[in-house]
Amino acid sequence: MDTIRNTKKINLKQILSQYGTLFGLIAIVIIISIIKPKFLSIDNIMNLLRQTSINGLLAIGMTFVVLTGGIDLSVGSIVGASGMFAALVAKSENNLPWYVAALVGISVGLLLGILNGVIISYLKVPAFIATLGMLSIARGITYMASDARPVPGLSEDFLKIGGGNIGPIPIPVIILVIVLVICYILLYRHRYGRYVFATGGNALAARVSGIKVKKIVCSVYMISGLLAGLAGVILTSRVTSGLAQSGQNYETDAIAAAVIGGNSLAGGRGRLWGTVVGFLIIGVMNNGLDMMAVSSYWQLVIKGSIIIIAVMLDSLNEAKS
Amino acid sequence: MKVLKKCISMLLITTMMVGLMGCSSNDKRVDNESATEQTATADAGKDTEKKIVLGMTLYSLKNEFTVRLANAATKKAEELGVELKIYDGNYDPSTQINQIETMISDGVDGIILNPQDAEALSVGVDKAVEAGIPVVGVNTRVKSDKLTSYVGSQDVYAGELETQYMVDLIGTKFNAVIIEGPLGQSAQIERREGIQNILDKNPDIKILAEKTANWSRSEAMTIMENWLNAFDNIDAVIAENDEMALGAREAIKAKGLDIPVIGVDGITDALNAVESGDMVASIFQDGAGQGSKAVEVLVKAIKGETVDKEYWIDFEPVTKDNVAEFKLRAQ
Repeated sequence: MDTIRNTKKINLKQILSQYGTLFGLIAIVIIISIIKPKFLSIDNIMNLLRQTSINGLLAIGMTFVVLTGGIDLSVGSIVGASGMFAALVAKSENNLPWYVAALVGISVGLLLGILNGVIISYLKVPAFIATLGMLSIARGITYMASDARPVPGLSEDFLKIGGGNIGPIPIPVIILVIVLVICYILLYRHRYGRYVFATGGNALAARVSGIKVKKIVCSVYMISGLLAGLAGVILTSRVTSGLAQSGQNYETDAIAAAVIGGNSLAGGRGRLWGTVVGFLIIGVMNNGLDMMAVSSYWQLVIKGSIIIIAVMLDSLNEAKS
Repeated sequence: MKVLKKCISMLLITTMMVGLMGCSSNDKRVDNESATEQTATADAGKDTEKKIVLGMTLYSLKNEFTVRLANAATKKAEELGVELKIYDGNYDPSTQINQIETMISDGVDGIILNPQDAEALSVGVDKAVEAGIPVVGVNTRVKSDKLTSYVGSQDVYAGELETQYMVDLIGTKFNAVIIEGPLGQSAQIERREGIQNILDKNPDIKILAEKTANWSRSEAMTIMENWLNAFDNIDAVIAENDEMALGAREAIKAKGLDIPVIGVDGITDALNAVESGDMVASIFQDGAGQGSKAVEVLVKAIKGETVDKEYWIDFEPVTKDNVAEFKLRAQ
């Protein structure tokens, strides 16, 4: 009898700490909608999703990195660099199709990601330091490539990537969903995902059991870089010019999304849908607080508090196990 | 149970905070938002009395000049009985575009735009105009011909004024450094143009270096420190705004030197510096006047009155002689 009652109690606790952030998201959405009914209009929801899609891509990439116990501080700068190179190719006067520019941007992101991965897994530099260095390097490259001046005059087709719609749905949102599906399959329906979790949980045990830990670690930074490159292309297309400061500080929101989503920074524990809840919370807060005309100074305080609360909720989950 | 309690209490705190924030933002409005919407739909006769709602996004609310502009706009809005929502663009064009989209969703009657980037924000103007919302530009330019009006000061003239002042002060032959605003913002582009106009007329002025400090005092200080180490023959510093001029001056004083510095805007610290002789002069920009006029013009346009395409508010040089008068005005 006792054991049955015990299992019931544990389930409730588990549900709350597991789904706490999801409840939080729903609660926030409900409250904002009551104060500001316009928040739920199709128009606004589509805007919200389009605006969040960039952070969403970065957060998904960050999830892979964080699952291995690493961190990628350079994503903001990679966004800037990829966006800038994409812009340089996408200039109308070059007469190149939009996908060439997009490919260039994504490739730059992938390249920087590979660099990160090699430095971290093969040259044994701690992730924090390596990506901190890359943050500066990538930003410097961006300024050099553009001479710190904006690169305007991009081709019409290229601009549709970030600014266009297919039906009522913004293209960046469609891209985000496709990426999400692919990453879900990779993480949960493919042995690659299991290797990532294993590496984060206990790298030594993983190596001993035959997992090529170095390759896995390198690969997550490649994914992060690639997605940051994609985000950079979308961002540049949205602001219609290559801007040297694009993406500055974007890594903060990406890490926040992963953390709010219940991904432990120590690695090995976390979930992709948690990240989705994470970047949705951030997106809803940004959009909703703007709709309620909350001062930007307060918004900073709130954002920081949410992150702390989310980590507290998460540490409860860990303390229990 | 402890865990349960903790979780519930944290969720409650979060949701309460959000609720609080929703209420605290009411200090800019007379009525409660949802109440206005209910009465608007319920009583058709009251439609003509529905309050005009304006939205304004500034490239930043983290410096004195833009805060001055925003405060004056708020005051004018209260005077005219319209609602004004203000957004901080955080020096990020993407954020400003997001804010414009939010304002459109929100159903504002007009938008005042103070863009971070002249190119990027033309997308924002397009979106607003497409949704039938008039846009008035203020203080910085955007590459769009769809603006209902633009309220600002002639930045080219400011650049010319400050450079000419330096020429009048120390002659037509000297070495100078130029500290610039964020590259791509209209103020930087146009003030640099103005500076160049005077430089072209005085070929004996040599520019040793120029760099952007993004309107930041601390960035300018660092740049100046490096230049003072690199060059020992700097005769003058021409900064495109006061914050950067003040930063440069700090670096100069730290090295025990006394190189003349000039800036633009006429912020409080600069007025004090002009008074004490720390800055040779500042070119006062009437931010309050711009903010106030922008609201006025937008409301006129919404009400269907004709407005001019451009409203220019003069730059005024502030020197030791007239600084007292400006300090009074800046109250």
